Amino acid sequence: MVLAVRASGISIGYIDEEEEYIVWAVRRVDLAIEEGDAFCLVGESGSGKTTFANAIAGILPPHVVTRGKLYIFDRLAIDESTWNFNGLRGRVVSYIPQNPGTSLSPFLTIEEHFYHVLRDTLRYDREKSRRAAIEALLKVGLDRGVLEDYPHELSGGMQQRVLIAIALASNAKIIVADEPTSAIDANLRASVLQLLGKLNREYRVTLLIVTHDLASTSIVCNRLAVMLAGKIVETGRTISVLRNPQHPYTKMLLDCIPLLGVKKPLKPLPGEPIQVVEDKAICPFRERCPRAIDKCVEEPPLKPVGDEESHYVKCWILTGGESE
Amino acid sequence: MSSILELQRVTAGYKSVKGFKSLIKRVEVVLRDISFTVEKGERVAIIGESGSGKTTILRVILGLLKPISGKVLIYGKDLYSLPSDQRLQILRRIGYVPQDPYKSLNPVLKIKYIVGEPLEAAGVEWRYVGERIREVLKIVGLPQSILNDTAEELSGGMRQRVLIARAIIAEPEILVLDEPTSALDVSIQAQIINLLNSIYNTLKVTMITVTHDLGVAQYLADRLIILKSGKIVEEGSVDEVLRDPKSEYTKSLITSYLQITGINSLNNIKIRGQYV
Amino acid sequence: MPPSLPFIRLVHRNLRKYRFKIGLSITIAILVLSLVSQYIAPYPREGLGYVPVGEESRRLLPPSPQYLFGTDTLGRDLFSRVIMASRSAIIQAFSVVFLSLIIGLIVGVLAAYFKGLVELVLNYLTELFMAIPSIVIALFFRLTLEAGFHVVIISLVTTWWAWYARITYVYAKGVVELDYVVLAKLSGLSPAKIIMRHVVGVIIQPILVQAISDLGSALLEASGINFMGLGLPPGYPDWGVILYEGISEMGIIAFTRAPWLVFYPGLFILLTTLGFTLLADPLREDLDPRLRRRWKLWF
Repeated sequence: MVLAVRASGISIGYIDEEEEYIVWAVRRVDLAIEEGDAFCLVGESGSGKTTFANAIAGILPPHVVTRGKLYIFDRLAIDESTWNFNGLRGRVVSYIPQNPGTSLSPFLTIEEHFYHVLRDTLRYDREKSRRAAIEALLKVGLDRGVLEDYPHELSGGMQQRVLIAIALASNAKIIVADEPTSAIDANLRASVLQLLGKLNREYRVTLLIVTHDLASTSIVCNRLAVMLAGKIVETGRTISVLRNPQHPYTKMLLDCIPLLGVKKPLKPLPGEPIQVVEDKAICPFRERCPRAIDKCVEEPPLKPVGDEESHYVKCWILTGGESE
Repeated sequence: MSSILELQRVTAGYKSVKGFKSLIKRVEVVLRDISFTVEKGERVAIIGESGSGKTTILRVILGLLKPISGKVLIYGKDLYSLPSDQRLQILRRIGYVPQDPYKSLNPVLKIKYIVGEPLEAAGVEWRYVGERIREVLKIVGLPQSILNDTAEELSGGMRQRVLIARAIIAEPEILVLDEPTSALDVSIQAQIINLLNSIYNTLKVTMITVTHDLGVAQYLADRLIILKSGKIVEEGSVDEVLRDPKSEYTKSLITSYLQITGINSLNNIKIRGQYV
Repeated sequence: MPPSLPFIRLVHRNLRKYRFKIGLSITIAILVLSLVSQYIAPYPREGLGYVPVGEESRRLLPPSPQYLFGTDTLGRDLFSRVIMASRSAIIQAFSVVFLSLIIGLIVGVLAAYFKGLVELVLNYLTELFMAIPSIVIALFFRLTLEAGFHVVIISLVTTWWAWYARITYVYAKGVVELDYVVLAKLSGLSPAKIIMRHVVGVIIQPILVQAISDLGSALLEASGINFMGLGLPPGYPDWGVILYEGISEMGIIAFTRAPWLVFYPGLFILLTTLGFTLLADPLREDLDPRLRRRWKLWF
């Protein structure tokens, strides 16, 4: 089994403007994504999910600090405080930005978008990039007619498909999609997600989808991780996490999703998603957790749940309050 | 029951005026022949995707856009034929919560001035305003300590609560919500939905929600009005529409929504009745 | 609440930056100099332009302990003249920018807030005034009016307000469509209050910062007009006039024969402009996060 992404003890922090302290967005995360997986990072704003996805895509801003190690297809991409994405960014890992409307240049036709990307990553000439573009557009269900169009002539859903096609055309093995559905209308979301799922199944592309919507994960992803304040609090196969959520935070997220046709009360916990500045080893959910115990001031370990394969949860209640 | 808001065959659109060509006015029609009635105490949701004209309906209701033809009746009075002072009197009975909490709060103004503004504009003395601000902050669940902060120090959920507090401070009878949760996180979205419903129950307002999200509408409305490219394609109670949608468009909306929340198909949640 | 409060906070936040400190010290130094120069100048009468007795023996003396910056073509002490000229620099720079700012702010905000015909007319008016070079206006006033501050100030304000009107219009246009203006309109707040609180209050910061950095350009343009002899009368203590006198009297050889004549007034213009720029730059950076960090390497 080949691991597409392996992170061991990775931390990513932003240096504050005055360089006085570091805001740790991702804190000592261990994660493995197998090749061909469709993996979903779920979290609310400030959970560090986007930062982590950006690190995998190789588009970290210059003023971040990193710790730990990140391997992409066994190549060391982040080694403690240095990183090197040459040969990975754009070639092995491709990125689909959040907002299709603002991610495409209004002055370039779709064909030119393809050309600029493919020239830089794969040294394609115009003819070759055009052929690759047509092929990729077919995969995402668009015809070659859009090549001559400018982005504003396409609908939001089509723009999103074009972005996916650009990511595909560079023959990337991993596609990182940052909130692929949040900027488009509810009725187009399903088709975009289904398209991503199809690419994953038919072309063996490893998918990493970042989203805040736990409900929409199940139609694409086979595995997911729930992030909270820079840490993974629960991870496992999608079905097993959604059917049998263990962490109080995951349960709350599920309770908060409005389901069409089901009149259940929404049960949010009071408080807001927190952003932790200090790198303290405590359970980040402690203050909102209805079942918090004294032990929760210490950081719980990531432990397997029952006999369910690869379902891990980071919570003291479930490990019986025993430390190792 | 008495109708509190009525749209009669409203057609509305925007004039495109450019430079000296303003003599020739071109009108782009967005809403075509819209009629519906909202009874007192109802919760109505207007559903539509972007470009369907749902924002235009809001502007027409709020007195910001004069329809090309048709009438807007609020409390039985034609909003656009009233003199401006009477129109203002009627508009003061509407509380409006705008769409994007990040763009709807003046970044340099203190929260107390933002929340108290409707009363200030109505000419209430500031010492009474201060008391009322404390009351509404309690209703929406915000700490009193934020009164002297500016909006930039608040999170998205808190901003939305500030906007709701502002909307209810003048004790409106109609609450108009524009995508009240679309910019928020899931858990905050649920908090806001619950807050709005508790406001509906305690203050006995009429609530009109505009959204593209059927799931949210289901929680904030009893009746749905579904809009497609400027026309009403379906109207009915939530249960009716979800169980037995009449138009193809509504069906497709429901189908795609059920597809995203694929969680429905997982067997730990039982679906009450098959809708599609 | 006064809209200036956030601006004071903005200034306060930047007090730690070296660039800001340097700019502030230069600006304060020039301001103080403009107030006290007539008392500390060794030859205040010469500073005001009076030709001293026995001037022939004092012409074009190089800098010495007695005449710190040397003397000019009429034997006047250049040090007194240069430091006393700081007052006219301050008066011209501040009044030009202040008046232009007030007019531009009013025109720009009104154009953005009241759409339709008002917007159309005010915008064309703005563009019309942007197209007129201030030198031409100065020439016109110089020919019809007496020489003096009013010529410089009127001719510069006539064109400068249009630039402020334009930036105000652009900023205000982005604000008037925002929901807090709509909300204020719906609650029935009077247009005057909406404009002051929700439009001017929000956009004033970047415009004030722009105005501060423009103080330097205003000084440069004012000096230019004076240098051409269109503004202040000959003999008046003003850096532009001093340069003009030196060069018109001697021609280009002033640069080699008596370099102090051009060096000292030039240096003061440069320093003052630099002071204003250093003052405005960190503020601008603070308001626009995209500009941050680029300068960090410098200081």
